Amino acid sequence: MAAELAELMGRYCDGDRAAFDQLYAQVAPRLFGYLARMAADRAAAEDLVQLTFLKVHRARGAYVRGADPVPWLFAIAHRTFLDEARRKKRSHVRLAREADGVPEEAAHITGVPVAEADDGGRPDPALARAALAALDDLPVSQREALILTKLSGKSIAEAAAITGATPGAIKLRVHRGYLALRKALGGGHP
Amino acid sequence: VSERDDPVDRGLEALAEPSPAAPMSDALRAELEGLRPVRPRSPRRQLGALLLLSLAYAAGLVGLFGFDGDLDGRTIGFAAAWVVGFAALTWLVVVPPPGQVMPRWRLAGSLAAGFAALSVAAGLAVGSGPVALDAGRVLDRGGPCLKLGLFTALVPIFIAALLVRGSLPVGRRWAAAALGAAGGSLGGLVLEMHCPIDDRLHMGLVHGGVVVAAAVLAAVIASFPAASTRRRA
Repeated sequence: MAAELAELMGRYCDGDRAAFDQLYAQVAPRLFGYLARMAADRAAAEDLVQLTFLKVHRARGAYVRGADPVPWLFAIAHRTFLDEARRKKRSHVRLAREADGVPEEAAHITGVPVAEADDGGRPDPALARAALAALDDLPVSQREALILTKLSGKSIAEAAAITGATPGAIKLRVHRGYLALRKALGGGHP
Repeated sequence: VSERDDPVDRGLEALAEPSPAAPMSDALRAELEGLRPVRPRSPRRQLGALLLLSLAYAAGLVGLFGFDGDLDGRTIGFAAAWVVGFAALTWLVVVPPPGQVMPRWRLAGSLAAGFAALSVAAGLAVGSGPVALDAGRVLDRGGPCLKLGLFTALVPIFIAALLVRGSLPVGRRWAAAALGAAGGSLGGLVLEMHCPIDDRLHMGLVHGGVVVAAAVLAAVIASFPAASTRRRA
């Protein structure tokens, strides 16, 4: 996958529009998944994905041929999210979260379509709402660490590279976020 | 309690991946109109060019401002240390690890802090004269040396910042501090060749201080583009 994306990125830098379209098709859903959970707002996440790709387009000359572009793309998305969050905080505007925050059409976390998942069905909407609310209540750093490692499938090292934190800090944030989620979701204290 | 029964795992599983992202926006499509090829970054080639250019620039400055004419073992040792510090820090900021786009900014920043401290300590340890702090001794000719050192640092910092532009969505200030320390190291090299003063306070606090000052200034300046970007957004 990384080699394929590196090849697409290289062709995109060479001016191949079709390569960009393929890159977008492969990476945008992953960035959207990450940003939707971070922003807890679908429309805002869509805007952030577009902003991220605009930045990528303008910075494509910084790409190193043959390198895995994904951590770099996620880091740009991370930076874009933080910049937008700060801007909204300064302007005292808080976007209302979607009514339920649960996407209508979803794939299972494992990547298997929901209908084919081994638990045989769609995720429990009430549980999804509770999890989303609990995630949204976490500090941004903990939420981000959890989303990257538990939902976006990144390793601790990759999450560290994306966020600019140390691997130790990411582990700690995941641990603390996990404890807070457990408390919020009714698992009691560990 | 099995992992399957853990409420957090079940809650996170319920947060399934959203459906595919929306189609490209008009703004993005407009940017992609007439997509032109760009040359991706070639870090090693950039590093080589930057080192050669910077050393030539430093040699030019020494030629312009004058060589102190004393090429003893200590001067050569210090000059070698300045060159190694400059090259190593620049390498860390400009050349990413194999297979990656983002350079090792955290390692570079950490080493820059150590190198800056070492530069001051080495000057204080190796220079001559009493150890007692004397402001007059520091200030005497300190200003011109500090200015020359920082002036020397400007060019490599500026060129390197252009080269790595876009490759550091995170860690910009750390990378800037490392580039500042690298530029300060080149400044230290020029001062080593130009300045005849071997007083330990001057060597430590002024020559070594150039590394500290350049690193701090570069880190401070690097935080401005982010602020202006936020204002524009």
